[in-house]
Amino acid sequence: MAAPCGRMASRPLFQLLSCFNRTAVGNAGIRQFSTASVCRATLQAKSVTERASSPWTLMAAVCLQRLPVISADCNPIEQQFKDMILQMELEKSVLSDHELQLLEDAERMRRKQADDYDSDEEEGRDGQEIMLAQDLEDAWEQKLKSFQPAPRARADVDKDLTSAQRCLAETLVLLAEQQVGKEKLWLLPQTQWQEGETLRQTAERALDSLPAGYKATFLGNAPCGVYKYKLPKAIRTENTVGTKVFFFKAILSDSAPPKAPKAPLLWLTKSELQRYLKPAYMMKVDRFVLGV
Amino acid sequence: MNPVLRKLQVSITQQVLVLNQAFTSCRATPSIRHPIWCTASANERQYRSMPTHGIGRWRYLLPKQAPKKRREKQPMKPILAATDTAYGSLNVKLSGYDMTLVEHYTQYIHNLCNRLGIRVAESYALPTKSTEVMLMQEKGTKMYVDAVLKTHERVVQVNSLNAALCPVFMEVLLKNQPEGVQLSVKEHTEADYHSRFKARPELEGLMAQINQ
Repeated sequence: MAAPCGRMASRPLFQLLSCFNRTAVGNAGIRQFSTASVCRATLQAKSVTERASSPWTLMAAVCLQRLPVISADCNPIEQQFKDMILQMELEKSVLSDHELQLLEDAERMRRKQADDYDSDEEEGRDGQEIMLAQDLEDAWEQKLKSFQPAPRARADVDKDLTSAQRCLAETLVLLAEQQVGKEKLWLLPQTQWQEGETLRQTAERALDSLPAGYKATFLGNAPCGVYKYKLPKAIRTENTVGTKVFFFKAILSDSAPPKAPKAPLLWLTKSELQRYLKPAYMMKVDRFVLGV
Repeated sequence: MNPVLRKLQVSITQQVLVLNQAFTSCRATPSIRHPIWCTASANERQYRSMPTHGIGRWRYLLPKQAPKKRREKQPMKPILAATDTAYGSLNVKLSGYDMTLVEHYTQYIHNLCNRLGIRVAESYALPTKSTEVMLMQEKGTKMYVDAVLKTHERVVQVNSLNAALCPVFMEVLLKNQPEGVQLSVKEHTEADYHSRFKARPELEGLMAQINQ
């Protein structure tokens, strides 16, 4: 690949200062994400070298991923092991301050109830304790009862393939239906490479060209995969033998942008990708979509 | 009989003394001294006259070691600058409330770097910060302490991460990030290095006085 690789090597690195948060607080649908990309001063005027025109059309596609929001459910074996380990840790652990306080209070109550109780013998405390540890615990129990956690998975949202909130425990990949040649195909959003831009900029353009305005962070300048498509012999000419598509990975950074209705976009898990992508394309995509 | 024995004893001791002197002159190490045959002072204790006294001594046989120097303050490791194909020194900072999660995730990242061939310069922990959560009382203006949260921080410093490997590395990190742990990747600066040390106010005061 003569031209684009050479250009990529000469471009400076984007310094990515990223901060990824995974906490319960904040946006329910997506992970908190903030990046400050520091672009170093671009290298000045490298002479544009003569490029041999290549018979391949170059395109860049973006593999936009929505990372999981909640933890995955455990297997039965994992659940059993987890319970056993928790039980073991509980048995081996030492009493905490609160539990010691409970025992002390119970002891003191017992001594008070006894017939031969002499309040002068009590050491330590000046005056009576206002709040016993047991009362504190009861107050906390009450608070817990009034707390309603949101349901982890909602069946109706899970079935809606266009929603970015489905399958919160897994990563989702964005698929768009685009016109390629004569037919409409489901594939990762892509556009053609233009002169004077890096492939990554092409991928960013591909992302911006989608009707729904998603904000994403690209993970690096290097593509993660490539797909080569040779045109059938009938259409092939000297100048166009086929297309090469370079894939770039990006992580979705904000949740729920204003949804454009009827946008031909789908959010799919890795197992569902097979139903929508062509087999040869799927083989290449399969290699870089991590099924972690 | 007695004078004979005494004579014998005297002669024996004399012989041994002579032998001993010859012994010491032959030997290079002057430290060997059989305690019994030393010119004993009046204050010598009784048990040192046992024939087996000092039988287990061996440390005098070892070669002399130089005395241990106190460990000098390590100079700062040079901060690498970014090149066209690799990042310089990066800090991967993990922080969270649950220490086991943060610690295990740090270990996972360190092991991952070892496996992928990414050079790990340093891996250290920053001091724990305690946050007191205070709630307003329902009726009244006083605040009371509800909970104490401890924030644990760990840093893995990574050198010259290859730019082509970076997206893969970042993705694996993100996919395996546990709940409640914040991940932050930044460049390493001198300020980060100095934040690890305790501030010494008196020293700073004196330096300011000198510089004035």
